[in-house]
Amino acid sequence: MKGTAVTVFEILRFLIIHWKCDIEVSKGVLLEGQLVISIEGLNSKHQANALHCVTTIASAGSLFGGTVLKKFLKEIQSILPGISAKLTWTSEESSYSQDMTGVTPFQMIFEVDEKPRTLMTDCLVIKHVLRKIIMVHPKIRFNFTVKVNGILSTEFFGVENEPTLNLWNGIALVVDSQHYASRPKFDTIESYCSRIHPVLGHPVMLFIPDDVAGMDLLGELILTPAVALCPSPKVFSNQLNSISSVSIFLYGPLGLPLILSTWEQPMTTFFKDTSSLIDWKKYHLCMVPNLDLNLDRDLLLPDVSYQVESREGDQSQNMDLQGQTLLLFLFVDFHSAFPVQQMEIWGVYALLTTHLNAILVESHSVVQDSIQFIVDQVLEQHHQAAKAQQKLQASLSVAVNSIMSILTGSTRSSFRKMCLQTLQAGDTQEFGTKLHKLFCEITQHQFLHHCSCEVKQLILEKKDSAQSTEDTPDNSSLELLTDTSGQAENKRLKRGSPSVEDMRTLYSARAPSLSEAALGGRAPTAAPLTPSGREACETHSRALTPGRASLGNHLEDALWLQEVSNLSEWLSPSPGP
Amino acid sequence: MAFAPMGPEASFFEVLDRHRESLLAALRRGGGEPPSGGSHLASSSEVLASIENVIQDIITSLARNEAPAFMIENRSSWENIKFEDSVGLQMVSHCTTRKIKSDSPKSVQKFALILKILSMIYKLVQSNTYATKRDIYYTDSQLFGNQTVVDNIINDISCMLKVSRRSLHILSTSKGLIAGNLRYIEEDGTKVNCTCGATAVAVPSNIQGIWNLVTDAKFVLIVEKDATFQRLLDDNFCNKMSPCIMITGKGVPDLNTRLLVKKLWDTFHIPVFTLVDADPHGIEIMCIYKYGSMSMSFEAHHLTVPAIRWLGLLPSDLKRLNVPKDSLIPLTKRDQMKLDSILRRPYVTCQPFWRKEMEIMADSKMKAEIQALTFLSSDYLSRVYLPNKLKFGGWI
Repeated sequence: MKGTAVTVFEILRFLIIHWKCDIEVSKGVLLEGQLVISIEGLNSKHQANALHCVTTIASAGSLFGGTVLKKFLKEIQSILPGISAKLTWTSEESSYSQDMTGVTPFQMIFEVDEKPRTLMTDCLVIKHVLRKIIMVHPKIRFNFTVKVNGILSTEFFGVENEPTLNLWNGIALVVDSQHYASRPKFDTIESYCSRIHPVLGHPVMLFIPDDVAGMDLLGELILTPAVALCPSPKVFSNQLNSISSVSIFLYGPLGLPLILSTWEQPMTTFFKDTSSLIDWKKYHLCMVPNLDLNLDRDLLLPDVSYQVESREGDQSQNMDLQGQTLLLFLFVDFHSAFPVQQMEIWGVYALLTTHLNAILVESHSVVQDSIQFIVDQVLEQHHQAAKAQQKLQASLSVAVNSIMSILTGSTRSSFRKMCLQTLQAGDTQEFGTKLHKLFCEITQHQFLHHCSCEVKQLILEKKDSAQSTEDTPDNSSLELLTDTSGQAENKRLKRGSPSVEDMRTLYSARAPSLSEAALGGRAPTAAPLTPSGREACETHSRALTPGRASLGNHLEDALWLQEVSNLSEWLSPSPGP
Repeated sequence: MAFAPMGPEASFFEVLDRHRESLLAALRRGGGEPPSGGSHLASSSEVLASIENVIQDIITSLARNEAPAFMIENRSSWENIKFEDSVGLQMVSHCTTRKIKSDSPKSVQKFALILKILSMIYKLVQSNTYATKRDIYYTDSQLFGNQTVVDNIINDISCMLKVSRRSLHILSTSKGLIAGNLRYIEEDGTKVNCTCGATAVAVPSNIQGIWNLVTDAKFVLIVEKDATFQRLLDDNFCNKMSPCIMITGKGVPDLNTRLLVKKLWDTFHIPVFTLVDADPHGIEIMCIYKYGSMSMSFEAHHLTVPAIRWLGLLPSDLKRLNVPKDSLIPLTKRDQMKLDSILRRPYVTCQPFWRKEMEIMADSKMKAEIQALTFLSSDYLSRVYLPNKLKFGGWI
């Protein structure tokens, strides 16, 4: 008997598939609407220590018209015969539930008897699924209400007005970092980027093992990885954090969260080997699977999680507060030369949930190459930024120490007095502290001025006057970016940091026809593509080319990465006089 | 004190004496020595105050929330250099500058290193101790990276503060040698007598500190190469041509060698001649002594001796002496580029004879070392060539 969570997800899944496929929603347009999910549990009359749960899924607003609704209802009935629970639905002629204000005719109800603990877990799973859905369908909102024996709790899931990165096929990734990792603690003046900056990888075709029977796909499975660090590499910080964990998020066709059939034991054979996707040794990291995934938290729960093993071999504690998390998004999509039917999507999804492990094992080489390439890029940027930061800090230290040496060694009291008065310092120690702080602020200001993202500067002693740096990049910055894109390209070729052109290339998920040299000659080996597969990749690539709607987001990310690439200049020898 | 008269008769030096008279007359017409511009010998307190002013400016900028920066004159830019016959190459009064900013990724490291070296100079001046540029580099070789970085920053500081390197208590390592009719006392009281023997005396590292210079020399001969210098020592040239002074910088001269030549001219106003190879490199070295270098143009007044004359080896001498072709060497492409560069320099225009010699070299596309004269005899240089040149005024 399927539980509440599974049933809810299957209904939502079918709804989204139907929504996209049969409602003729333009491929590039995000799904938009609000769904209300409510669970009412009362002590069961038929089972001891159980709750009779009535789950209602309804739309708050019209999703689709009447004639289509009938077709939808017919199809879902055939798709979900496995739900042995009582499943009823109402059409527009039926009466409404009095508890749901504004509910439209679309409403589905099913009933299940569950243990209270099972219901509690199911609620957590449902919330996890809802979070995962809205992360790639940012215009879908959910109202989730649970009422158990009269005790009501309501939670709203929505990410409207949050920054997103448009991907393809009508999905977009929410890039607000607060969803992915806890904000690290600060104890000094620091700045952080509130967004993650995903780097998209080369789409690769997945191989389906011969022994995976029952599927004759008229198309190809395409996996597109995306990698980001969370929180984003700090542009200016006294504490550059190292990678402490990896979170992997699995998405299937149309941005549906991939809830594997082994979801309760997510470490399939493929993911159990932490090096199956990424070679960590080159970064001197030792990763171990993290099996302690707490459902009860507000952050987006990864499908697979790894932790960096400490030198002493002990697993780090409180990893959310230490270091950065490498976020890896695996988007598996289905492409076909023919119009894709919703049953096909449903079948592909079922294939993935059941056989993802085997498929990934079969496609290991191309998948690993594609992921490794972008992980190398992201971590290299991080590494470059860290080195640049170290160089800056070292230089500022030298400057401050030199000034202090002259000040403390001077025998001219007027000079010493003047210096202390200028910085309003009571003694040389305070003077040194203020001197260092001023140098840091001035250098930080230089970077903040060019930072394209919203950057908050946490100043413990100036909380009330903390600057909001939501300034959009001015035209000069954009023009500079445009004009220097060629130079940035050269810099990237020399130092491995992406230029604007490479950003577009990356976001457009490099097609096989692009020059290998443009990506530093480290292109992943593409799977030998069938004609439809090649076309699928190219179509996929074209779809990822930023359109006008997403240009703002792309340019902002491009600007940010441009500044990170500029940081690589810290590492080059200064030109001689 | 009279030196033992081992040299030629007094009449031998008649042309030289007349040449010296003409130089002195030119000096008198020019109003004496040109005023010293650029850097000067600053007192310790002046240097300390200059450095403190720099620090004050930085702190004031920081207090105004502005990124402090150094304004450094572009020492090695031709647009900032002018030529004056009486001085040679020197910096113009209003130079272009470049900014070394503290908030720029490209320059913050240099900004910090300038402060670092300023603080080291401050300590040296305060403690009245001296260090060479090499010493400075080795205080933190990892921080500085390489010697050239240190050298350039020290020159930039000298130019920025308008004080000589000596005033910054930074010495350059001497590599030159001196021999002949000269004696002096060094700053620490050491008495030095350069009278020729088999060995020469090293150019002191503290030229500004030497005093009580005494000489009867009729001329100073600057020899480009150490090999030629040693050859002349072996041939007892200083005694044969006594009284005279010989000096070599062993190729491109270091600062102290140039300072010593300048000091000898300023003190005694005796004719100074150069003996260089008949090749573009030799000509360039000669130009450094006479007109100065671009990189040190900010200190030209302390380093140049425009009165220097080219004694040999002249390209026209090669034809005149029938030096065989197998003793000559074809000009390389690099030689030709250097020769073209020298011909374009502003000071060549007022040296028609030098230009003519360089054109002879350019036309023949051949060069020769001084050692080419050994085809005539092993001691031809010291026994015949140089004495004839000096006696009959064979300089240009």
